[in-house]
Amino acid sequence: MARPIVPVPDPVSQPFWDACNEGKLIVQYCSICDRRQYPPEATCRDCGFDFHLSWQETSGRAKIVGYSITYDSRLVQWHPLQPFLNVIVALEEDPVINFHTNLIDDFGTNLTEEPDIPIGATCEVQFVEAAPGRMIPEWKIVK
Amino acid sequence: MAREVNWERNHDPVGIWNGRGKAVLIGRGHSPTDRRWDGETLEKSLGAYMMIAVQNALDDVGIGLDDVDGIIGSAGGQGNGAPLSDVWGPRPYFDAPYDSEDGLTHVTGQWLRQQMGFKNLRYINNHGDPVWNLIGQAAQAIADGRAETVVVTYPNGNLPGRYHQDPSNEARGPAVWPNTWGWGLSGQGFTFNQYCQKYGTNHDRMAPFVVQERKNGLLWEHSYYAQHEPGEFTEEDYLNGRMIARDLSIFDCDRPVLAAAAYVMTTAAKAQDMKQKPVYILDHTESQFTPRSLVQTIDDTEEWTDIQAQRSYNGSGLKPEDIDVFAPYDGFAVFTQYYIEAFGWRGVKRGEAHDFYAGDISLKGPNPLNSGGGNMGTGRMRTVFITDPLEQLQGRAGDRQITTKAEVAVTHGVLPITAGTVVMSTSPD
Amino acid sequence: MAILLSFDIDGTLELGDPPGGVTTEMVRKAHEVGFIIGSCSDKPLSVQRKIWEDMELTPAFVSAKHQLGKVKRENPADAYYHMGDRDTDYLAAKDNDFGFWWAHEAAEQPWLEFDMNNHEQIPISPM
Repeated sequence: MARPIVPVPDPVSQPFWDACNEGKLIVQYCSICDRRQYPPEATCRDCGFDFHLSWQETSGRAKIVGYSITYDSRLVQWHPLQPFLNVIVALEEDPVINFHTNLIDDFGTNLTEEPDIPIGATCEVQFVEAAPGRMIPEWKIVK
Repeated sequence: MAREVNWERNHDPVGIWNGRGKAVLIGRGHSPTDRRWDGETLEKSLGAYMMIAVQNALDDVGIGLDDVDGIIGSAGGQGNGAPLSDVWGPRPYFDAPYDSEDGLTHVTGQWLRQQMGFKNLRYINNHGDPVWNLIGQAAQAIADGRAETVVVTYPNGNLPGRYHQDPSNEARGPAVWPNTWGWGLSGQGFTFNQYCQKYGTNHDRMAPFVVQERKNGLLWEHSYYAQHEPGEFTEEDYLNGRMIARDLSIFDCDRPVLAAAAYVMTTAAKAQDMKQKPVYILDHTESQFTPRSLVQTIDDTEEWTDIQAQRSYNGSGLKPEDIDVFAPYDGFAVFTQYYIEAFGWRGVKRGEAHDFYAGDISLKGPNPLNSGGGNMGTGRMRTVFITDPLEQLQGRAGDRQITTKAEVAVTHGVLPITAGTVVMSTSPD
Repeated sequence: MAILLSFDIDGTLELGDPPGGVTTEMVRKAHEVGFIIGSCSDKPLSVQRKIWEDMELTPAFVSAKHQLGKVKRENPADAYYHMGDRDTDYLAAKDNDFGFWWAHEAAEQPWLEFDMNNHEQIPISPM
């Protein structure tokens, strides 16, 4: 299903989006600080340098840490889907790293009541086509 | 003008500020407060309002333009001079001096110099941070001898039409990460929901705080509500507020307005010749954080606010019980409990703010929180966070004057992620 | 027949902020013709009540915008309409099976064309 807003890569984020198109979820990794970084930035947030930044593939498995519901977005393209679900998931192997997801099964459902979101549930990344040739990561509850 | 670097006190240990008591906040001036500019009447533009505010501030302390040697301002109310409002372009501009954004949606010191005829300026900085940081920067400039009498300017605009609506179907730059998944103000609600989960509280328990702020704001003549919507705001109103996002209602969000304010700051010596009582700056500290990852969590929020509160206490040498007047920011009302708990004002510990709200936080009670009304009580000006503590300490807050001691004030804003704290006192020591 | 008209305020009524195209006179006329009238707005309920006082009209209801469903439950009618200037107005109407007019459409007083003895609620159009 097409998405209301499509991401446009820039030089820093291009590898991330390229990997999405290949079905991989990658994040930056600073070898000197021994930390992962998402979203991608030109430099490491801790040491401030780019020398030790590389890309690292993740398992794509994550746990739900919380959620929100948007009733009145300033993003006009999202209005027809309101109210919609915003879920935060944290990477299983590094819970500091978190991502947005609308949860694949709930995307675009125009919520009519408070959803029952199982906090702590395990999810797996899947890639959905936001626009032709532009895959984005989304998550699906696996248990 | 280039952004000045290294004036902030943002690296621990900050130590007691070496400018303590040298700089004084003494006068204030405000423009009228409107909901928005009509897009036509130049006498009611942001630039025109900024000039009114500056003149009122000078009149407040009985000095003239030639007595001012510095302007430190937020060009538009936001970091790096960006306007809080939307921009006017690409609509056609007007005749000079309204032939660019300057004067319409932001106001630089240079524009003010030209329009008002300041002759003796030796220091202009349009640094562009929120008003707490500007007061800090001006205090530092005065303490360092770069200027003696500074006007701090803070214009906030609001243009015709709905505020900050984004019609784009593409996201670029940093907006990619939230917008692709429709994440926006939901973030404020998310963190607040985490807070509620952690401490067993809920959104409705915010009601006494927001209702009290509106009451306080109605007693401030520059409040949008005092000027345009003076009716009582009740708990029923708050509890029926439409949700913008989960746990964030329309009545937790400040209302954008068009208004400008200016402050006169000077040396302790020069203040003796001015009309108002000096209020001494005991300390200023700042901070800038980044989330551990994409989404700011309650853990991030509590860590950052703890660091900044401790930094302020270290910089001023004060303890929580020394703070008489406390003005923690509320641009989203769901922020304020983080600050109260971090500063431990009136002994409030983590998770206890909503219990505190349920007690007596009235203006004439023992815990007059945000006696000026905050943004919830005045509109999205932010300047009540400077004007009210100043007036409380000068004893000229009128109907808002608190009945408890008002000798030391702490004002703090803007976001957990980027903050400035100013400590003021009736005494330089 | 009973037909209910719910007026948004800001951007819809001339007394709103920003002012809309629906004048106080139009509201008064709707009242005189016999529509059940009231407001559903983001304005605090106390402020909405004051606006009706200023119009010298007694509304059947004042409500927060997202509580159109409650308005429907508490005000039995044969047809329900909301009017407003924002997507949130449209979605509130759609979610609660109200008919809907955008504020500029409402300024044409489409309700005056209704047959008050034989009217079927006009379905909401796609956004």
